Amino acid sequence: MSRPSASTAPSRPSDSAAASRPSASAALRTKLALTTPLLRAATTALWQPDSLRPRYLNYLAAMHGLIQASVPLLELAAEWCDRQPPGDPLAAPLARYFRLHAEQERGHDDWLLADLAAAGAEAPSALPPVVVAELSGAQYYWIRHHHPVVLLGYIAALEGNAPAPWLADRLAEHTGLPPAAFRTLRDHAALDTGHLADLENLLDELPLTAAQQTAVAVSALHTVDGITRLFRQLADTSEHPGAPG
Amino acid sequence: MTDQQVTLSRLAAAGFDIDAFTEEQQEVLRKLTPHEVAVLLDLKHRLDEVGPEVQAHSEIAGGALF
Repeated sequence: MSRPSASTAPSRPSDSAAASRPSASAALRTKLALTTPLLRAATTALWQPDSLRPRYLNYLAAMHGLIQASVPLLELAAEWCDRQPPGDPLAAPLARYFRLHAEQERGHDDWLLADLAAAGAEAPSALPPVVVAELSGAQYYWIRHHHPVVLLGYIAALEGNAPAPWLADRLAEHTGLPPAAFRTLRDHAALDTGHLADLENLLDELPLTAAQQTAVAVSALHTVDGITRLFRQLADTSEHPGAPG
Repeated sequence: MTDQQVTLSRLAAAGFDIDAFTEEQQEVLRKLTPHEVAVLLDLKHRLDEVGPEVQAHSEIAGGALF
């Protein structure tokens, strides 16, 4: 196994001790690297060729459930940044980031509906999986009852495990579905690398306390836990209720 | 054994491949808080119950979306 990658560039060193510490983004990356084998195993199971077509449709439906919460979460986080007590040094830069990111993510849930339609499947109407509610629900709680900075962990975990650039072509080959059914995967493979870089820059610029770094990391690890469980559940499915006969 | 050494030992005992991390990265892991360790151990235990992991040669396919 190769060594997990983690930049060790110091973040805004104010003294020699700070200069020797890894940046906030590098520390988070190291913590998340512990989970890489687990997530890799889950995605291997998710994308196994057997019964891939119905599983891919179930994946699109589940991801629609998750992504439809992205922009509302970002908007809620921005709103709660505005509500932070005067003097909170995170509030203004976080609010700017959340509002900008909301515009970048707006409408992506519609991409998933278009992918489903291109695959001949209906829009999801069933209750989204419980783990989808757990994933986004935890963020609603932490934004309102702790601090909106926690949402950065959720974003880091999801955008840090974006689809590989080759995944859409591989799935198209195995499912026989048209290219139009893979727009979300293709575009996220291209977009999320830049989004992750923006997020890591923000993490390194913010004056995060140790407790806030921990909160972001717990949020990220909780998100990996949820997405791994979701992928495991999807891997076990072999039928899609909205698929054409 | 110090608390920081205990943290690494607990992670290794749970099956995390600590030796794959550089010394600098291990320093980050030594300083994990109890809350972070708890989430990691919970994640690992739950997935261990599912069955053997296919890890060694699997590709990084990804698939998470935000």
